[in-house]
Amino acid sequence: MKRFVAPFAIGMGAVLALSACGGAATTTTGDSADDGKLVVWNWGSSDDAAAAYQDAVLAAFNEKHPDVEVEIVSQPFDQYYTLLGSAIEAGTGPDLALFNGGTQLKSRADQIVPVTDELADIKDQLAGWPAFEDGGETYSAPMFLQGFPVYYNKAIFAEAGLDPENPPTTWDELSDACDTIASETDVSCFALGNKEGLGIEFFMSGFGSGIFTPEEYDAWIDGERDWESEHAKQVLQLWADTSADGWYNDGANSTAMFNDSFDLFSGGSAAMVIGLSSGIAHWKQFDDFLGEDLGFMMPVTVNDGTTLALPIEGGIGYGVLNQDKVELGVDWIKATVDRDALADYSIAGGQIVSDTTIELETDIQSAQDIVAELPGSKPLLHTALGGDTLDLLHRLGQQLLVGEVTVDDAASQLAASEG
Amino acid sequence: MTAPTSTRAVVLSDPSPGWPRRTPKVPRRKRKITSETVTPYLLVLPVLLILLVFRIYPLLLGINFSFTGDQELNGVFVGFDNYLFLLQDERFQASARNVLVVMLFVPIEVLVAGLLATFIFIKVPGHRFYRSVYFLPVVLSPIIIGAIFNIVLGANGPLNAMADSVGLPTVDYLGQTMTALPSVLTVHIWATFGMALVIFLAGFSTLDQQLLDAAKIDGANFPQTIWHVIIPGLSQTIQFVFVTTTIGMLTGLFGLLYTMTAGGPGAASYLPEFLIWKLNGEARPALASAASVFLLLIVLVIGLIQIRVLRRATKES
Repeated sequence: MKRFVAPFAIGMGAVLALSACGGAATTTTGDSADDGKLVVWNWGSSDDAAAAYQDAVLAAFNEKHPDVEVEIVSQPFDQYYTLLGSAIEAGTGPDLALFNGGTQLKSRADQIVPVTDELADIKDQLAGWPAFEDGGETYSAPMFLQGFPVYYNKAIFAEAGLDPENPPTTWDELSDACDTIASETDVSCFALGNKEGLGIEFFMSGFGSGIFTPEEYDAWIDGERDWESEHAKQVLQLWADTSADGWYNDGANSTAMFNDSFDLFSGGSAAMVIGLSSGIAHWKQFDDFLGEDLGFMMPVTVNDGTTLALPIEGGIGYGVLNQDKVELGVDWIKATVDRDALADYSIAGGQIVSDTTIELETDIQSAQDIVAELPGSKPLLHTALGGDTLDLLHRLGQQLLVGEVTVDDAASQLAASEG
Repeated sequence: MTAPTSTRAVVLSDPSPGWPRRTPKVPRRKRKITSETVTPYLLVLPVLLILLVFRIYPLLLGINFSFTGDQELNGVFVGFDNYLFLLQDERFQASARNVLVVMLFVPIEVLVAGLLATFIFIKVPGHRFYRSVYFLPVVLSPIIIGAIFNIVLGANGPLNAMADSVGLPTVDYLGQTMTALPSVLTVHIWATFGMALVIFLAGFSTLDQQLLDAAKIDGANFPQTIWHVIIPGLSQTIQFVFVTTTIGMLTGLFGLLYTMTAGGPGAASYLPEFLIWKLNGEARPALASAASVFLLLIVLVIGLIQIRVLRRATKES
């Protein structure tokens, strides 16, 4: 052991000496001297519609900067933030990177160059800005809107003897519908995947406007959250109760949300699912499987004094990481919200785009229903949370399902995590 | 014809084949620097340089980085703050507890590999076939194995369907706190024991046949042969397998954890390696570096303790 201790002590000494100099990399990246190139990281540009949109963005950008070479690096999404974090720390990060709005962008705000003034001229043109703002600064422009609509399968409703054209509007009606589906069919009421703990964030944001009063909702988004309040605890209680009441497919904690639980819904093994409005698991993908049987419903009223709102906000947008290329970066961001490019993608890719003046040209009724609810929509409750709290919520969401933590304990842990 | 040698006599005369023997101290003579004395060092120099540049230097950088802050404190020296934060972090505490669970599974893998290697060594019928079959999972990617066992162990999977058909209760193996990590570890053992088996077989090939013959002549039965001849004879191999299996379990479970449980439910199947990945993904790379240093220390300490303990345990008293 002595042979080991001496070199280790020397090594630690050297490390502490190194530390005194500060060892971390700067956040400014790229080769500032090379103004003729812009390195952009993103994910999910592999399908035809996304590739066509990317080409359209590139064309819009090159109209302004014909001599700038844009190098687009498409990374796998499940590794994206890990790769990006490592690259930034190593000083080899891109000039611009795609970010999810909300928690993912806000927790990295210190690494992104604020572009509040630079984007001021397009502010009125788009919806969904709050997901890209932090501390009074704007960090990106939303390309698409992301929300958590509840979809249902009209054929299963009909099989259970429920009215497929009139989905539940209150919690009691929803509970009755789930009881009926359980007794009259052999499918589960809701498709749920909670292996990554995502289920509870879908539940909270999906049903939140029917639980919290509008004042509580707005305060929550503004950062004034009381996890031990009656309605916050009610969210946790309803989550645990619905599982205990058998609303979900077996083994939710070992089922992945993407794509297993959505496959359950697409395949007709569940009557309802809280899905997404853009990107994946949305109306266009579900329509491919369910066609005319796909229905969209608003959150249901749980408490009196609530105002139902479609939970939706800015989905994704590019952030500028290289201080020396802000001008090019801003023009790239503006190209990503180019009206023509977005209009084409909204039809081909099944996106609800941030430019709400673009008419969604589709005959898929649920998409039109979602668009119709946009004016009264509200930001998502879970993306207002910090990364630590959101991760804790994921883990508590799993523990509530298996009965390992009480609602009171979960609420106090969440309250403590937010200081 | 020589008289038959007793097992004990042979073992005692050569207590642990391959162990470095202590030699009486002799005064050192100063070596002259000649091409013959320098050449060996020159030959290993490229490897040493590669180790220094690609292993030691990044390691030191990582340790250095662990003493700096994240986000707004990026690059700022924060002393042991990251380490103190980790000690109070629920996920880190769960990871540390789970390391102990992993340690319980190490002897199982060694035992399984050792026993099956012994059966192959004594040439049970079909031993060549079994040798290939046992090794096959080693060549599969952990992601593929994870995907397969996700289905097999699923709440609605074939294993539960079989249990249900014979009236046994069904279990959501990967979604329950008590079963998640043991399920992953069992799959890991299935997937990796083939490598330990090959090492055991290599060890068997160095075993002194004279000892085995002597044991047979002395009338030792199979368990006695294993206990008094094979285990002492394979002491170094067993140590090696123990240490490499431990390191493999602590640093090679990420793929399975990622695909099978994602660390859950709660933090029930978190291991340090998974935590490091999660922290880095949460934009806290310096904290992840501190967790990496902890993992390095855990592996070092456990490895050294194992070598000490096993050195004694596998010696014939």
